Amino acid sequence: MSSGVVETATLSPAAEKLAERIESSPVAGRARVVDLDIPTIEVGPGNWVALARFLRDDPGCQYDLFLDLCGVDNLRRRGADRASRFEAVIHLHSLSRNEHARVRVVLPDDEKPSLPSVESVWPAADWFEREAYDLYGFDFPGHPNLHRILCHDAFVGHALRKDYAPGQRWFYAEEDLRVPEWAKDTEEKAGNFETQTISIGPSHPATHGIIHLIARLDGEKIVRAETIIGYLHRCFEKMAEKHHWNQVIPYTDRLNYVSAMNNGVGYVRTVEKMLGIEIPDRGQLVRTILSEFSRIMDHCVCIGANLVDIGALTNFVYLYQNRENIYDLLEACCGARLTVSYVRVGGLAIDVPDDFVPRCRKLLETIPALLDDIEKLVNNNRIVRNRLAGTGIVTREQAVAWGLTGPMLRASGVAYDVRRARPYDFYDKFDWDIPIARDGDNFARYLVRMEEMRQSLKIIRQALEILPAKGPVSSDDWHVVLPPKDAVYHDMESLIYHFKLVMEGIRVPAGERYEWIEAGNGELGFYAVSDGRGGPYRLKVRPPCFAAMAAFEKMVVGGTVSDAVATLGTLNVIAGELDR
Amino acid sequence: MSGVIDVSGKYPEKLTFLQRLYIPEILRGMSVTIRHLIRNLANMKGMPTILYPEVRRNYSGRFRGKHILKTREDGTLKCVACYMCQQACPAECITIVAGEHPKIAYEKYPVVFDIDMMRCVFCGFCVDACPKDAIWMTRNYEMAFFTREDAVYSIDRLRESPEEIAKHGYGYRPYYPGDGTTPPADAALLPVVPGSGEREQLRENRVPLPDRDPGPGPLNAPSQAERPFSA
Repeated sequence: MSSGVVETATLSPAAEKLAERIESSPVAGRARVVDLDIPTIEVGPGNWVALARFLRDDPGCQYDLFLDLCGVDNLRRRGADRASRFEAVIHLHSLSRNEHARVRVVLPDDEKPSLPSVESVWPAADWFEREAYDLYGFDFPGHPNLHRILCHDAFVGHALRKDYAPGQRWFYAEEDLRVPEWAKDTEEKAGNFETQTISIGPSHPATHGIIHLIARLDGEKIVRAETIIGYLHRCFEKMAEKHHWNQVIPYTDRLNYVSAMNNGVGYVRTVEKMLGIEIPDRGQLVRTILSEFSRIMDHCVCIGANLVDIGALTNFVYLYQNRENIYDLLEACCGARLTVSYVRVGGLAIDVPDDFVPRCRKLLETIPALLDDIEKLVNNNRIVRNRLAGTGIVTREQAVAWGLTGPMLRASGVAYDVRRARPYDFYDKFDWDIPIARDGDNFARYLVRMEEMRQSLKIIRQALEILPAKGPVSSDDWHVVLPPKDAVYHDMESLIYHFKLVMEGIRVPAGERYEWIEAGNGELGFYAVSDGRGGPYRLKVRPPCFAAMAAFEKMVVGGTVSDAVATLGTLNVIAGELDR
Repeated sequence: MSGVIDVSGKYPEKLTFLQRLYIPEILRGMSVTIRHLIRNLANMKGMPTILYPEVRRNYSGRFRGKHILKTREDGTLKCVACYMCQQACPAECITIVAGEHPKIAYEKYPVVFDIDMMRCVFCGFCVDACPKDAIWMTRNYEMAFFTREDAVYSIDRLRESPEEIAKHGYGYRPYYPGDGTTPPADAALLPVVPGSGEREQLRENRVPLPDRDPGPGPLNAPSQAERPFSA
């Protein structure tokens, strides 16, 4: 750190308060608070663990929810005054104070930069550190299981470093499969009997995607487990760096492909905040309505698939009927059912069809009827209760420590919902409730999701009330949004704007931003770094199910294999978002 | 804004004796499924399932299916090979090779216009990017191929044909009837006699443009300097 002085001259109240707290911390004078979109603390790797402990435990900080850790490579970053090539960026949230913070660990210039692991402070850091190790080659001394996570074990190099040539391919053979050390040990005994190691997946009907679980069994009970992911990794983040800001939108559709609209909205919100442009009310409300419908789809798929896993097939068909009807609405709006690509930076691709409101109202009638049917079939069914109630329990403390968000966290009794904690768009104007449950088991998660769908319908109903009947859906800033086609065809000036936008992309001012929304699975965050060119310099997704999947191997220990299947279903892990 | 509701209180933790007997709950569940069955039998047309391929889903006029290249009145392609769709394509599935058209009014035309349907993600960005109203999409979503070469559609398969439109209908396009957009005027059909020297003359008379600041340059240009970092 160049200056050891705490800058308090031009800080926002939140950042100033944080700076005051840091002053009284063990790292006082060695950490610096800067005011970006959220208060940011800069620290060197030597003081990182001390700072982490302080941020978690200090009553004035209480950053208990670890959200994200990612690397940034400044090798080709234009215009930014950076002393070092690599930095690690950590995002935290304080549930009690309802505030986000960012920590930037500035790493020494080294081929293999190293910063101590904070897995012991926030267990949620486990997989995020492995990801930074994999993609950036950061070393985390003290990490219990530092292996590649998204790329396979025969991969050479670190894919997100700026000097890594993206065209390279690495062959993966069977002998490259990494078997955890503990799984090789077959001598381990449990009482008088020997234990057995089994593989569930990668291609298993219960994994709903390609996920590999290695479990050691004592009889039918799981005594140890490890999840291997990355089978669907396609390096979304590297692709984003190679494309213009708008061109990333089709890629975001493929993150959580069950509710594609939410990803797009989360992403473009980040870019719009960096540009500082406003979206017309109509555009914002259409986004809200379709996002809420997407959330319903997400929950329908999660519950439907989960119930299939435990043997209740009928619900799946009824829930998918909802999804089918919502797909029809999405297709009428944007021309595609699954990968919608409907949002654009600055608004929407095209205005909604004329019969949008009647179509939505029809859905508002059909969806609750089918949900009622599900509740009749499931809620008091003894088999469902036996399989879901009391299995896969996550306590409140565990849920926070493992960095869970969304329905998972709410089912454990924490009423954290981004739509309420930091209302974006029109969410502060709607009357709706956050459903929570106390038990933290699979049945609680099922109940929370069911209730959330009803609350989403409530939000949609109110949004339709205030939706302007006519008006623009996109900003009229032609530096950002393509001019109307009529103007492009007949007006030279508009054609020039059109040409500049298509060929060079949107010029987003240099800087960084973390924006987060409530997606189907929890807090979906996008951390974007721009250096003034037409595309992202760095784009990190904070996928909510990454933290959930990391917790899975801890949740299943002590339960049976069949409980693990039921638990995996309620996590709602979408491999597209998990592996990116 | 409103409050928080605890859903775990909504259902009693313990099932009643009748519920634990399982049979009454089974009957209750059967009543739901049988109600669905009777409703479907009574209203076969309203059933949510579609008997594909005998029956096909009715898609909207915004459906993003196979592309078509629009033509002018004289049958030439409207495309002027400006490369904007190729640049806008996030999947990099469009390949264009431009040629000089014998008619000066048309200036350029695509000698090659290939879309690799295996790479295409059907996002419609090419339609948005086109300044000449030259590329639209159709509602045709059935494109199966046996070889990778088959998946690369060239001009002969992309050119708009009345039969294709009659069968599938237009899909995603830059403007829709009634939205007030006037398509670009057709370029004047100027005759150019080959070898008359008109084109050469035009080229000679062109005044070179002054140098200008090239700006930050495209993404990932090889000229981007790597920032030196001191160890």
